[in-house]
Amino acid sequence: MTMKMERKLIQGDFIPRADDELIVCRCEEITQGEIRKAVYDGMFTMNEVKRYLRAGMGLCQGQTCSRLVQNIIARELGLAPGEVEISTSRSPARPIQMKQMAKDGVKK
Amino acid sequence: MKRYELIIIGAGPAGLSAAIEAASNGMQVIVFDENERPGGQLFKQIHKFFGSKEHKAKERGFRIGEKLLKEAEDLGVEVQLKAAVMGIFDDKEISVMLDGRVEHYRANNIVIATGASEKMLPFPGWTLPGVIGAGAAQTMMNLHGLKPGARVLMVGSGNVGLVVGYQLLQAGCKLEAVIDAAPRVGGYGVHAAKLARTGVPFYMSHTIKEADGDSCVKGAAILAVDSSWQPIPGSEKYLEVDTICMAVGLSPMSQLARTAHCEMENNPLKGGLVSICNKYGETSTPGVYAVGDVAGIEEASSAMIQGKIAGAAISFDKGYISEAEFTTRYEEYQNSLMQLREGMFGHKDKDSADTEHTEEGYTLSQSLLSKGYMEAEEIGEYPGIYPAEYRSKGVFPVIECSQNIPCNPCQDACKRGCIKVSGKITNLPSVDTSVECTACGMCVVSCPGQAIFLVDETLAPGYASVAIPYEFYPLPEPGSKGLALDRSGTSLGEAEVLKVQSSKAMDETAVLTMKVPVEWSMQARFFQVY
Amino acid sequence: MRIDHHPILKTFEKGKLVKFLYDGKVMEGYEGEPIAVALRANGVMIHRYTSKHNDPRGVFCAIGRCTDCVMVVDGEPNIRTCITPLQEDMKIETQYGISNNKEDESI
Repeated sequence: MTMKMERKLIQGDFIPRADDELIVCRCEEITQGEIRKAVYDGMFTMNEVKRYLRAGMGLCQGQTCSRLVQNIIARELGLAPGEVEISTSRSPARPIQMKQMAKDGVKK
Repeated sequence: MKRYELIIIGAGPAGLSAAIEAASNGMQVIVFDENERPGGQLFKQIHKFFGSKEHKAKERGFRIGEKLLKEAEDLGVEVQLKAAVMGIFDDKEISVMLDGRVEHYRANNIVIATGASEKMLPFPGWTLPGVIGAGAAQTMMNLHGLKPGARVLMVGSGNVGLVVGYQLLQAGCKLEAVIDAAPRVGGYGVHAAKLARTGVPFYMSHTIKEADGDSCVKGAAILAVDSSWQPIPGSEKYLEVDTICMAVGLSPMSQLARTAHCEMENNPLKGGLVSICNKYGETSTPGVYAVGDVAGIEEASSAMIQGKIAGAAISFDKGYISEAEFTTRYEEYQNSLMQLREGMFGHKDKDSADTEHTEEGYTLSQSLLSKGYMEAEEIGEYPGIYPAEYRSKGVFPVIECSQNIPCNPCQDACKRGCIKVSGKITNLPSVDTSVECTACGMCVVSCPGQAIFLVDETLAPGYASVAIPYEFYPLPEPGSKGLALDRSGTSLGEAEVLKVQSSKAMDETAVLTMKVPVEWSMQARFFQVY
Repeated sequence: MRIDHHPILKTFEKGKLVKFLYDGKVMEGYEGEPIAVALRANGVMIHRYTSKHNDPRGVFCAIGRCTDCVMVVDGEPNIRTCITPLQEDMKIETQYGISNNKEDESI
C-alpha cells in the first residue's frame, strides 16, 4: 500500500472515547487518546507516532508498549496489527549510557 | 575484535542446547546473556515438565537448567554473563555491552536465542505498584524467595497463568481468582485442576475493569464479557487483592533478528513477529539462526530441541560432523520435536481445534474448560479411570487425564505395567485391571499434571483411603485431621492423614494418603490443613 | 513477605544481612539480592513518581526490561532496582521524574 493510499483511510472527525485517558506508553505517559489523535493527525506508522508523541521512546525503548501502540494504530486504520509498519530496529537494542557508548573501541 | 566459530545470543534452554550440541561436535562457542544468571527462564520453573523421557519429562525446570549448565561447562562452552548484545551487523559482527564498555565480536555463525517478552494488558490503574507481570511474580518467588503479595488476582488462564498461580500457592500467597476474557481455560486442564481443587475460583469470560487504589493496588474490579467481548452490565465484582498478576501471553523478542536484516513475518500462531526460518532454524541471513521462543512461542522442551537442531546444522555446515551423522541426528531431533507439537495444545491454529472431543473420540470435559475442574459425573468417561467393577480388589490408580497433552511419564512410572499410553504420546493413559497395584505412589508423583490418585475402598468398613500428590509446606503429620476437598475445592468434611510418603526419587512431591468415608473415594482430591 | 521455607526449593541462598538507607531510613536486606527485593521485604511499594502526572510506580517486570522500578541509587538516577544488587550502606532514594528532589522544577 502506498503512503498516499494510507492517508486516505481516515475520514471524518476525531471522536473521543471513554477510555482515551488510559496510559499506553508507561515511560513517557502517553495515553490511548493521544495515540488515536496522532493517527487522525496523519501518523500511520510506528515510527511516525513515536516521533510525534515519543510513545516508545522512553527509558524502556518501547518494550512494553510497542505492541499496544501497533494495535491502536491498526484499529484506527481498520487494519490487522501486522499490517502496520513497525518501527526501525537498530543498535543499541538495550539502554546504554553515553559514557559506555563512548568507550566503544577503547582499549581496556 | 574477537573471533569465534559460533556466537550464541541468550543462555536459556534454546541457546544452551545449541551451544552444547555444537561444542560436543568440536566447535568453539561463546554464549552471551544479559542477565546475572544463565538458564533463561528455566530457574524460575519449579514444576515438573511434560513430555517423554527424552524431553526430560517429570524433571523440574530448574534442575534441567542445572544439568544444561553442567553439560555446557564440561564441554568448555564460554558463557559470558551480564553481556547485553546491542546489535548484529554485516558480516556477522555483534556489539556487546560488557563491563561498562562496548566490545565487538565476529563469528562464522550466530544463533539468536533471545527468548520472549511478556505481553501486557492495559487497563485503568495498570501503572499502580502491585500490578505486575507473571514473570515478575516468578522471579520474586522462585529466585529471590519473596512473596509478590499476600492476595493475588491472576489475569490469564494460559499455562503461564496457571503454573505461576500454583507457584503463588506454594509460596504461601492466597490466589483470589484466575480470570480470562476467553470462555475456556487456555492452558492444560490438569494445571487448572491443581488450582481449582484448592478452592481457587475461575472466572472465565471475565476481564479486568480496573485496578483500585491510590498509591498501590488494594483491589480489582472485574466484569463479565459476552461472546463479542462486550462488558455485561451489572456483572461487576470487586476482589480485595494487593497484587494483580498479568499472564496474557508472550511475544518473541525479535529486535536483534531485525538488526541482522532477517526477513520477518507476523505470525499469530507463533506469538507475533518472527524471522522466517528454514527447517534447521536458519534465517534469510545466511549463517544466522533463530531458535526457541524468539522463533515462535512454545515450551522450553521444544526450545531445547530447536537449539540442538541448529547446533547440529551449523556443525555439519562447518564440517564438524558428516552428512550421515547430521541426517541421523536431525531426524531424531525432528521426531522428538514433532511429538511435542502434537495434541490439542500443539503448535497449530487453536481456533480450529476440536473443543468437544479428544483425538480418540472421548468427550472433553466442558466443566474443566469453563470452571477449571471436572464434574464427578464427567470422570467415568476416560480410560485412566479404574472401572467400578474391579475396585473391590484393593488399591487402584485413578488417572484424571482427559486432554491430549504430549506426556507419558506415568507409563514408565509403574514398574508393573499397569499404565499405558498406547500409540501417540498425546493419547490418554489407560489402566490395566489385570495388574495388581502395590500403592508405591510413583505414578502419583511422576504425573507432571498431578492428575493421578490412588484409591482403596477396602480400607475399613465404610472408609476408603485416597492418596494425592502434595507439594505444600509444611507436610501434615500422620494422624492429623483436616478437610477433604473435592475437585472444585468444596469441603466434603473431615479427613485424617494416614501417611505421608516422600523420597528423593519423588523429587519433592509427597504422596499424602488420607482416610475418608468411602462415598467420597471418587470425590476427595485435596487435603486442607485445619 | 519473605518465604521462610519453600516446599520445592526449601531455602534460598542469600548474602549477608546488611544495612542500607531508603529515603534516609535505615533498613536491612541481603547483600547481592536485587534492591527491589530488599525494598519489598521492607514493605516499600512505591519506587518513583512520574514526571508528567506524578503517578506512583513500582516493580512491574522484575527483569530489567520495563524500567518502571528505577530509583536514585547512590546519587545516580534511573537505576533499575530489580536487577541491581544491594550493597552495604547503599543510599536508595525515591525518584521524582529524574531527580531525588520532590521540588525539583527542572523535571
